[in-house]
Amino acid sequence: MLLLVAIHLVAAAVAPALTRLMDRRAFLVLALVPAGSLAWILAQTSTVTGPDARAVEQVTPWVPALDLELAFSLGTLSWFLAVLVTGVGALVLVYCAWYFRPGDPEIWRFSAVLTGFAGSMLGLVLSEDFLLLFVFWELTTVFSYLLVGHNPERKANRRAAMNALIVTTFGGLAMLVGIIVLGQRVGTYRIADIVAAEPSGAAVTAAIALILVGAVSKSALVPFHFWLPGAMAAPTPVSAYLHAAAMVKAGIFLVALLAPAFADTPLWRPSLLVLGVLTMLVGGLRALRQHDVKLLLAYGTVSQLGFLMAIVGLGTRNAALAGVAMICAHALFKAALFMVVGIVDRSCGTRDLRQLTGLARRMPVLLVVTVLAAASMAGIPPLTGFVAKETVFAAFEEVARTGDGTGLPSWAGWLVLAGLVVGSLLTVAYSLRFVWGVFADKDGAELPREPDAIPAGFLAPAAVLAVLSLVVGFLGRPWTTLVEGYSTAFPAGEHEEYLALWHGFELPLLLSAVAVAGGVVLHLQRYRTEVLQAQFTRLPDAERGYQWGMRGVDRLAVEVTGATQRGSLPLYLGTIVLALVLVPGFALVRQFDGLGDVVAWQHPAQAVVAVIMAVAAIAAVRSRKRLKAVILVGVAGYGMAVMFVLHGAPDLGLTQVLVETVTLVIFLLVLRRLPAYFSDRPLTIARWWRVAIGVAAGVAVGGFALAASGARTLPPVSEAFAREAYDFGGGENVVNVTLVDIRAWDTMGELSVLVVAATGVASLIFLITGRTGRVRPDEAIDHPSRWLRAGRTLSEERRSVVFEIVTRLVFHMIMVFSLFLVFSGHNEPGGGFAGGLIAGLALMVRYLAGGRHELDEAAPVDAGHLLGLGLVIATLSALAPLAFGGEVLQSAVVDGTLPVLGYVKLVTSLFFDFGVYLVVVGLMLDVLRSLGGGIDRGAEAEAEDDDPSSVPDAAPAEGIS
Amino acid sequence: MIHPLLVSASAPPPIDSPTIQYGDLSPLLVVAAVALLGVMVEAFAPRALRFTIQTALAIGGIVVALAATVWVGLGLDRASGDVLARGRVVAEGAVAVDGPSVFMWGLVLLFALVSMLLFAERRLEGGLSAFTGQAAAPPGSAMEREAVEHRIEHTEVFPLAMFALVGMMLFPAANDLLTMFVALEVLSLPLYLLCGLARRRRLLSQESAMKYFLLGAFSSAFFAYGIALVYGFAGGFGLGDIDQAVSNRIDGQNLLLAGIALMAVGVMFKVGAVPFHAWTPDVYQGAPTAVTAFMAAGTKVAAFGAMLRLFFVAFGGASWDWRPMFWVVAILTMVVGAVAAVTQSDVKRMLAYSSIAHAGFILVGVTGAFVGTRDASVTSVSSVLFYLTVYGFSTIGAFAIVTIVRDASGETTQLSRWAGLGRESPLVAGAFALFMLAFAGIPLTSGFIGKWAVFSAAWSGGAWPLVVVAVLASVVAASFYVRVIVTMFFTEPTGEGPSVAVPSMATTAVIVVAVVVTVLLGVVPGPVLDLAQSAGAFVR
Repeated sequence: MLLLVAIHLVAAAVAPALTRLMDRRAFLVLALVPAGSLAWILAQTSTVTGPDARAVEQVTPWVPALDLELAFSLGTLSWFLAVLVTGVGALVLVYCAWYFRPGDPEIWRFSAVLTGFAGSMLGLVLSEDFLLLFVFWELTTVFSYLLVGHNPERKANRRAAMNALIVTTFGGLAMLVGIIVLGQRVGTYRIADIVAAEPSGAAVTAAIALILVGAVSKSALVPFHFWLPGAMAAPTPVSAYLHAAAMVKAGIFLVALLAPAFADTPLWRPSLLVLGVLTMLVGGLRALRQHDVKLLLAYGTVSQLGFLMAIVGLGTRNAALAGVAMICAHALFKAALFMVVGIVDRSCGTRDLRQLTGLARRMPVLLVVTVLAAASMAGIPPLTGFVAKETVFAAFEEVARTGDGTGLPSWAGWLVLAGLVVGSLLTVAYSLRFVWGVFADKDGAELPREPDAIPAGFLAPAAVLAVLSLVVGFLGRPWTTLVEGYSTAFPAGEHEEYLALWHGFELPLLLSAVAVAGGVVLHLQRYRTEVLQAQFTRLPDAERGYQWGMRGVDRLAVEVTGATQRGSLPLYLGTIVLALVLVPGFALVRQFDGLGDVVAWQHPAQAVVAVIMAVAAIAAVRSRKRLKAVILVGVAGYGMAVMFVLHGAPDLGLTQVLVETVTLVIFLLVLRRLPAYFSDRPLTIARWWRVAIGVAAGVAVGGFALAASGARTLPPVSEAFAREAYDFGGGENVVNVTLVDIRAWDTMGELSVLVVAATGVASLIFLITGRTGRVRPDEAIDHPSRWLRAGRTLSEERRSVVFEIVTRLVFHMIMVFSLFLVFSGHNEPGGGFAGGLIAGLALMVRYLAGGRHELDEAAPVDAGHLLGLGLVIATLSALAPLAFGGEVLQSAVVDGTLPVLGYVKLVTSLFFDFGVYLVVVGLMLDVLRSLGGGIDRGAEAEAEDDDPSSVPDAAPAEGIS
Repeated sequence: MIHPLLVSASAPPPIDSPTIQYGDLSPLLVVAAVALLGVMVEAFAPRALRFTIQTALAIGGIVVALAATVWVGLGLDRASGDVLARGRVVAEGAVAVDGPSVFMWGLVLLFALVSMLLFAERRLEGGLSAFTGQAAAPPGSAMEREAVEHRIEHTEVFPLAMFALVGMMLFPAANDLLTMFVALEVLSLPLYLLCGLARRRRLLSQESAMKYFLLGAFSSAFFAYGIALVYGFAGGFGLGDIDQAVSNRIDGQNLLLAGIALMAVGVMFKVGAVPFHAWTPDVYQGAPTAVTAFMAAGTKVAAFGAMLRLFFVAFGGASWDWRPMFWVVAILTMVVGAVAAVTQSDVKRMLAYSSIAHAGFILVGVTGAFVGTRDASVTSVSSVLFYLTVYGFSTIGAFAIVTIVRDASGETTQLSRWAGLGRESPLVAGAFALFMLAFAGIPLTSGFIGKWAVFSAAWSGGAWPLVVVAVLASVVAASFYVRVIVTMFFTEPTGEGPSVAVPSMATTAVIVVAVVVTVLLGVVPGPVLDLAQSAGAFVR
């Protein structure tokens, strides 16, 4: 059976080539594939049908880890469906060979898809594994989508195809959930095993409900019925196949497959019977309103599907028999009728019954075929449709009289039966409307063009089906036997039904007569009913609901996106931070186990500083001016430094002050080029939200810190530091010894990072900062004798004599002080880092007082050289101990008495610290050159662009380096 | 006079030099070496040759690393005392070389290999790569024009991608929190940079890089904060130590929970889970498409790998505490991703939202936390691994197609401009449609098996409501994938239709590979699924 499906798919793959080779005749070759499959299936008849039926199984493993297997089985029910699928499929393919015009450019795609569709439908009915069934289910959805959308130029087709796809995909996925529930519950996905297990319980009820959603949507029952008439935008052969044997029958098949085990599930019968009858009535009424005969048939299909679902879902032995019979009858007549529509459409160029006229005389053979098929649809003896319908009525009569094991109350049985009779009445009426509409002579109607002759091959498939509709009607007895393999899965009722043309004068016959008579009357009164129906066009419409649903999703999508995805960074960040506050914050609060030993303050001054810092922080957030914000942030930073000092960490305090100062100045250098205000817009609500989120985040992070410090279980590692710093590092300043000795490897890495960062900053902000070579003697400076020679390069209003003189006086002192810090750092506050920052600040003062040329004067070196030299010194001093048999970065003390200075004690890590010093100075120089001098030069260049006469000595525009 | 200080005090305990299992780490080391070599090439190779050298170096390095990965994978032994796990912890407990690690190494290397082919595409831009010639030149400036005139290219993209690759390989294999953090940064920083290097629409690209960097820096900071708290709780960085502490300690729960949540923020940001997803559309759209492809596939693997290891190994004992959070995030991610994608009009943004939705689906598998039973049922780890494989290839393929649908101004990412692509180029449109179907999870594409695997693992883990939500989200998601197909095949182009540029062999190869994998994993997923299954559990 895997082979059969595979052959279909292979045929689909070669179909395009085949059509290119032999044009539309290729369909005849393709028809051999389903025809061959049909032959194989028919050969199995004696095994899989009849009273002693036994399913033919075939299992190939597919994905063992996921319990997916290619399990196929041919039982009685699937035998019937497979015969229809392959038989009608073959006929439809034959029909296609005439339906399409020679040289149609699109048939290469169509032929492939249709063959693939036939293959997947066959796979569906043969599947024994529920998941495999789902796979084919979805495949039919996709293929049908491609078929319905075959004629993509028309918007209606596209929309119809889209609707069909979305509705059936939705149903399919709902079904998948149901399948998973069921499969997990039973522990297997084999359909036969699941049916045999007959599981029950709330989960199973839900699963069955979901599976029914899938079946109902696929079979176009109310409220999903609208997709099917829309899908008749497809080429007629597709409609013939889709409506008769494939796609919509999948839902019916699934219900029939599960009915033996699950018909007693609470939701099963009420939902299927109600929806079935409702669909039958709605479809019938709608069909009576149509002018397009193809649309009429499409609504007819909707109506018939409701009928089928009601009988198949009933779940009694009689109903099973009637259901299978009705499925066959419907396939035969519906495929034939659609083919008739296609023939008429092709030869007359219209499907509008207001235009079709006089065809009865011109196409007598077609008339006979149509009448046979339509009579079967209407349930006129001696056709198949009559036999099947009689049995349906009988099955429901049995339920209404005795319950027949369904547990349905008597009134419900009668009500359903009444609904079905009314539905049949409508069926008769629209059958008449169809025949009348296509063939009758109508006053004032005129064909768009003279009809062409119908080729025999075009007509043959429809004729075969019509004749079968007639012949099978006489074969009630063998037919009943065939179905027994399926119907015996249900408990036997009191009254064994059988298929036959004549049961005697019983209620079903009466009901049939009522339906036929009523239908004829309704047809004769067609104008009145049309007027009546026109009154009710405003009834709530499932399609409208669907459209609303789709539009709702669209709308929701727009709203969600609009709300969350504005491209605003603060919003994104706010969301993340909010999540941070909520989730970990919640975790913190939930598991709150007391504050522990929290000491409010060791010194009251700490409280004062904390208040100042808090105020500064709040004010910084509130400020709209950048400058103000930066300064306030600086205040908070200095506060931190004071905290360190108060806590007894002067070294940290010193470093913090220096870092804070450098940061502040760098900020200011950058702010020169930025607008004064963060935003010119007035404060909005959004901003207060941001403040709120910021406060919440601060509280949360503070909470984490508190929790973390309260959770200490081991003594801190720093306790040992003081001792070891002296013993192994030879210094009294623990911080500094930590940096240059205990964790010198760390510092080494940081130094390299610093060098990279400095280089990166410089080259990112400005492609070049004068680092490419030696700093050139500056020709802008022409007074060799003056202090701060470069001060002349500034404009008068920017100069300050006092500042210049003070700078000149203190610069060297600061530089010496910075060196002092390096040397004393091992025992006193200070060290290479602090010293480097101080030297950098001294350079900064020179720059501020005299401009960028002054900076070059003060430090006539390339910053890169300083950075490199620093790194080299640090590395060498790290490696040096190796030469003396020590380890990398090991320290030693050199002491002795020097002539002038007296006793000197030198720890070798000083050299390392000196490397740090140089790197920091180099970094500061780089920052000043790029953020200070570089920005100046940019501004000068801009000024020059504005006014070419000024500043003749401005640097030339930089090219690509 | 020199006193070695050590002599003067009591001798400190000797420190053993670490033992590094170079063989087990060879895939990582090869890639890292290639990255460093790439930097050298930048410095010393003549400009004209750099592109060729870098491409060859990157691709050759990845191939060698792949071979090394296979070698390591074949040599994995069953971990002692564990029935499921294979492999061992190496490099002093820093890296776990086990089944999942090796699988993910192979995966990211494969993704990197095909992405490098996209990086190397030069035919679409008239002989230049898709990366800007001079990143430092302001967009629209004279400098930029000059760079174009001189046909300058940033060949640094290759070493950058290699560095990111190192991070991607290390992140899921890291066995202690510090290594994990370092890997996270190594993986992220080059990507931030790469995002800003698009040749066209440079402002958009730079904006995306800036957003990605800022938000990424924040979430990395949270991750680091989380590490600190967890360290405070467990007293160690090793995932095994943390596992011990989680199982044994009963106090300090607030520290642990806050730490878990903070670390979750970090990894969830990387996978693009809601509410940490906001960067995804902007970055996917702005970044050069080749980078987007690399990032979308590779980062997902790395981040989900790390997430699995972190939460299954280190925090496995606290799964009752973190699973509720994952439930909420998974549902939000699926729903927001699927719903928001519906309204997108830009292909790249649509793919970004789709990646969010897929992150949600994978989270479903993670949340199931199903460790498997004796029979052959699929576990959370192996289902997620399989899903990542499936998703990565389809995604790279889809983005590869985005690079070749072009008009005069470069890539045409407006969805409306894709109308009629099916007629213009049935093959390309067909391939894209295939990827869309795979994303939608239609049977016989790899996407279906992937979804099925994670859903069934989650189901076995008891997370059935999540599975239901996931299926519903799939419905919504399917609708927009289908919309793309409709646009391509069934809509009349307005004005001049789209055109499909003829790419070089590189991009063509990528698309072909992606199509083949997508179909193959849909039809015969068995071998790969078995491979994922045999990757087994994490070593501890």
